[in-house]
Amino acid sequence: MSELLQVQDIQKRFGALQAIELLRFSLNEGEILGIIGPNGAGKTTAINLISGMMRPDNGRVFFAEEDVTGMSPHVLVNRGLVRTFQATTVYQDQTVRENVLRGAYAKAYPGLLKSLWRGAQGLSPAEETFIDDLLAQLGLAEMAPLTARNLPYGHQKVLGLAIALAAQPRLMMLDEPAAGLAHDEVVHLEGVIRRANASGISMLVVDHNMRFISTLCQRVVVLHHGAELATGTPREVTRDQRVIEAYLGTPHEPA
Amino acid sequence: MQPVSVSMALPGQARQRVLRWVLIGILAAALLIWPLFTHDLFYTHIATLVLLYCIGAASLHLLVRLGQLSLCHAAFMGIGGYTSALLTTRLGWPFLPAFVASAIVPGVVALALGPILLRLRGVYFVMITYSFGELVRLLFNEWQSLTGGADGIFHIPPPHPFFATSREYYYFALVMAALCVGFTGRILSSQTGRFIDSIRESERLAQSSGVPVLRFKVMVFVLSCGLVGMQGSLMAHYIHYLSPGAFGFSESLNFLVFNVIGGMQTLAGPIIGAVFLVSLPEVLRGWVELQRVIYGVILIVVMLYAPGGLVMIGRRTLELLPIGRGGGS
Repeated sequence: MSELLQVQDIQKRFGALQAIELLRFSLNEGEILGIIGPNGAGKTTAINLISGMMRPDNGRVFFAEEDVTGMSPHVLVNRGLVRTFQATTVYQDQTVRENVLRGAYAKAYPGLLKSLWRGAQGLSPAEETFIDDLLAQLGLAEMAPLTARNLPYGHQKVLGLAIALAAQPRLMMLDEPAAGLAHDEVVHLEGVIRRANASGISMLVVDHNMRFISTLCQRVVVLHHGAELATGTPREVTRDQRVIEAYLGTPHEPA
Repeated sequence: MQPVSVSMALPGQARQRVLRWVLIGILAAALLIWPLFTHDLFYTHIATLVLLYCIGAASLHLLVRLGQLSLCHAAFMGIGGYTSALLTTRLGWPFLPAFVASAIVPGVVALALGPILLRLRGVYFVMITYSFGELVRLLFNEWQSLTGGADGIFHIPPPHPFFATSREYYYFALVMAALCVGFTGRILSSQTGRFIDSIRESERLAQSSGVPVLRFKVMVFVLSCGLVGMQGSLMAHYIHYLSPGAFGFSESLNFLVFNVIGGMQTLAGPIIGAVFLVSLPEVLRGWVELQRVIYGVILIVVMLYAPGGLVMIGRRTLELLPIGRGGGS
């Protein structure tokens, strides 16, 4: 199995706060890798650094054996590296279908002159089918004509995933996809992530919910104070003494 | 999830499209024919001004849709106007190349400034554009050897001897305004327009879907400033005179007010805003002392009761009529 993403000793400091102390991990092609850690461990910062939204102070990021450190997000999307956001980030005033369309189309922008020449052109049948299939897979087909802001919270989060999937990524980075979801919504979400993974998309899932990560991921990286604390299967890391301490605190010394 | 019926959407949309083209046809015919029936050149003059301001209002609309409220739009109009006026009066260029230059020079200035200015959002962008607008106005005023200072530039020739009279120039302005507004509409309805809206609605989502946000913003800024530069040129060659006062802060603010009053959601908004607000002072000429008060009251009333702008009032009225309704069997 080849390594699709390699994060080599990246560091990031915000003023006095060393948000990412020293982070190093790699993700294999086709894998679902979890990054877990308590609040403030630097999980979102790690995603921001890899996706190009921020530039690391030190260290390199390799994607498909290419050094992509500091590349703009839109360039990385074209390479096949797409992310989602922790808060529901969708185009609130657009329909569900239009949201997905916008995810699919940014990659295929033909340039100003060509777009002016074509005007308000409809989609080709193949593109229509692609969007419809995607909506059906994610259980959003019935909601396609609805305005995104009227969807329940859980569906808005799934829509965020749909927008990212529409860009046909090789690697998707999900920032706390399950946060704030009810149990049955989490189950639905797990199904969506598994199916996308089965279709060949590698996944990097960031969350602080150990149960969610454990059921989904083959391997987990535990992040603590901006550094890797442990890496291994969910079973291994949940038994690791340092991980237990980071999550539950050190037991009190008997008096 | 509430049940929603979608079956009505398509026939309604098709009907609206037909309705829109019928309206555009009637409007075009009316704009072409009416000057032939009046001998009052005053009205043709006002109509010409309205048409020219539609260019600037529509071009600023591109930036409004991008989510960037610029307060230096009149400065770019000035750059275009001065370019064209200086090239024709000082260097004796014919109108056509000077007119082309009146779009290119502001476009190049926008290209140089855009990557810096457009990193700013919200009030910060408003303030920096305000400062830049004032800087340009001072430049027009103080660089006397080039611009003639506060006195301005006189004897700017018409585009062609044929367009020397008011009525002929009206038709010239009509064609130019139709081309510029049509171009703007084409941008907004194309894929480019879809990304312009995406950037306004969620910049980071657009970015993480693969839209090169900053490059896109600069591109739209360049187009917008180039278009308003053309208005500057058309104004100069119509009035045959140019002075810094026409390109100050209040003019920039006017362009923004056209958009706010007309409606910021669709291109029809700034057009309606420009028609309404450019002709209003002339309609109110009988009440000179009350003119500003009435103007202010209208602004407040529209903002209070029609936050979507005059376009929303029109749309709601249309919905009340049987032909405008989407559904109904």
